[in-house]
Amino acid sequence: MALKLEIVTPEKIVYSQTVDEVVLPTAQGEIDILPGHQPLLTMVEGGEVTARGAKTEHLAIDKGFARVQSDTVSILTEAAIDTANIDVQMVEEAQRRAEEALKVAREENVDPAQIEQLEQVVRFAVIQKLAKKKNY
Amino acid sequence: MPSTKEIRTRIKSVKNTAQITRAMQLVAASKMKKAQDATMAGRAYAMLLAEILESVSHQEIAQNHPLLAPREAKRRGILIIGTDKGLCGPLNGNLFKEVMAIKDDVAYVTIGRKATQFISRTKRPLLADFPLSDKVTYPEVRAVVNYMLELYTEGKIDTIEILYSAFVNTLIQQPTIMRIVPLSGLHELIEDVKKRYKITLSDTSKDEREFIFEPSAAEILHELPALYVKQLIYQSLLGAKASEHSARMVAMKSATDNAKNLVSDLTLEYNKARQAAITQEILEIAAATQFN
Repeated sequence: MALKLEIVTPEKIVYSQTVDEVVLPTAQGEIDILPGHQPLLTMVEGGEVTARGAKTEHLAIDKGFARVQSDTVSILTEAAIDTANIDVQMVEEAQRRAEEALKVAREENVDPAQIEQLEQVVRFAVIQKLAKKKNY
Repeated sequence: MPSTKEIRTRIKSVKNTAQITRAMQLVAASKMKKAQDATMAGRAYAMLLAEILESVSHQEIAQNHPLLAPREAKRRGILIIGTDKGLCGPLNGNLFKEVMAIKDDVAYVTIGRKATQFISRTKRPLLADFPLSDKVTYPEVRAVVNYMLELYTEGKIDTIEILYSAFVNTLIQQPTIMRIVPLSGLHELIEDVKKRYKITLSDTSKDEREFIFEPSAAEILHELPALYVKQLIYQSLLGAKASEHSARMVAMKSATDNAKNLVSDLTLEYNKARQAAITQEILEIAAATQFN
C-alpha cells in the first residue's frame, strides 16, 4: 500500500510521487496521513508538507486546500517549493522588495487585489524561511 | 499595361508589407508558445479545484449557497473575451456570430476592445468593459470576477456565462459559451473537461466512503466557490490569449505567403514588360537603320 501525493499550483504540478506517509499542516494542527485514510477535505495552512517514502522530502506550501481520497493526497495551493531548492538569500530579497512595495501601495491606496498579491509573496517568503531553518 | 517603373514600386511595397507580416508572425509565434504553456499548466489546478468543490457541493449545507443554488435564468450575464487588436483572422468574427445567434435577454460584459466595439455598435446592452494586458494576471481577473459576482448576487443577472475562443490547437480555436454560475452542473462540466484535455491527475472517484470536512463543510464553502469562479475565468482568459496569438500567427503566416506569391507574379510581369520594351527598342533601331 502506498499513497500518492500531488501538489498542484496554478503554474504547474509541483510534486507527483508515491510515498508512504504524508504530514500536512492543516488549520487545526499537523495531521499525518497514512494509506487507507478516510476521504478528507481540509484547509491547509501555509507551512511544511513532509513526504516520507524511500527518502524524506520537505516542501514549503502556501495556504490552500487538501483532499485525501483513494489513497491520493491532492494539495491545491497558490505556491509550493521543495525546501532543498529554497535560496534563503533570494527569498529574503523578494520579501524585502514585496514589503517595500506593500508599504508604498498601502499609502497610495492602490488596488486591494495587488496588495493581497504582495501579501502572499511576503507570507510565502516567511513560510519558506521557516521551513528551511527547520531542516538545515 | 503598367510601366516597368510602376511595377517596380509595387513589388517594393509588397515586399515591405511581407516583411512586416513576417515580423508579426514571429512575435505572435513566441507569444503563442508562452500562452499555450500557461494554459496547459493551469488546467490541472482548475481541474483539482473543480473536483474538490464537487465533493463539497453534495453536502446539504451547499444547497443554500448563493452561487451553488439553481436559479431560473431570466436575464443571462455573458462575459465576452475578444482581442484588443485585429489582424487575427476570423477569431473575433466567429465570436460575434455566436452573439448574433443569442436571442434571449442578455446583459454583456466585455474584455478586449474589439468585443466592446461590436457590442456597442450593435446596440446590445453593455454593462461594463475591462482591459486586459498581454500577460494575464490575477488582479486583472479579480476585478472582472468581483464585478460579475456582485451583479449576480444583486440579482441583476441570473447566470454568469463566458464566451471565448477555446484553445484546441494552433490551427483550431473553438468559440465556446460556458455557463459558470450557478454552479449546479458541476459534475457534467468536470467530465467534459476531463475528456477534452486528458488531464494527468489521478482518478479518485472509486473511493465511495463519506467525506470528513475539516474544520467544517461550511467553512470550506465560505471561499471555495468564489475562488473556483475566479480560477475558471482566469483559465478561460489564458485559453483565449493562446487562441488569439495562435490565430494571429496563422493569419500572418498566410499573409506572408500571399505576399511572396504576389511578388513572384509581379516579378514575372515586370520581366515581361522589360523584355517588351527592349524588343520594341531594337525594332525601332532596326527600322531606323533600314530607312537610312
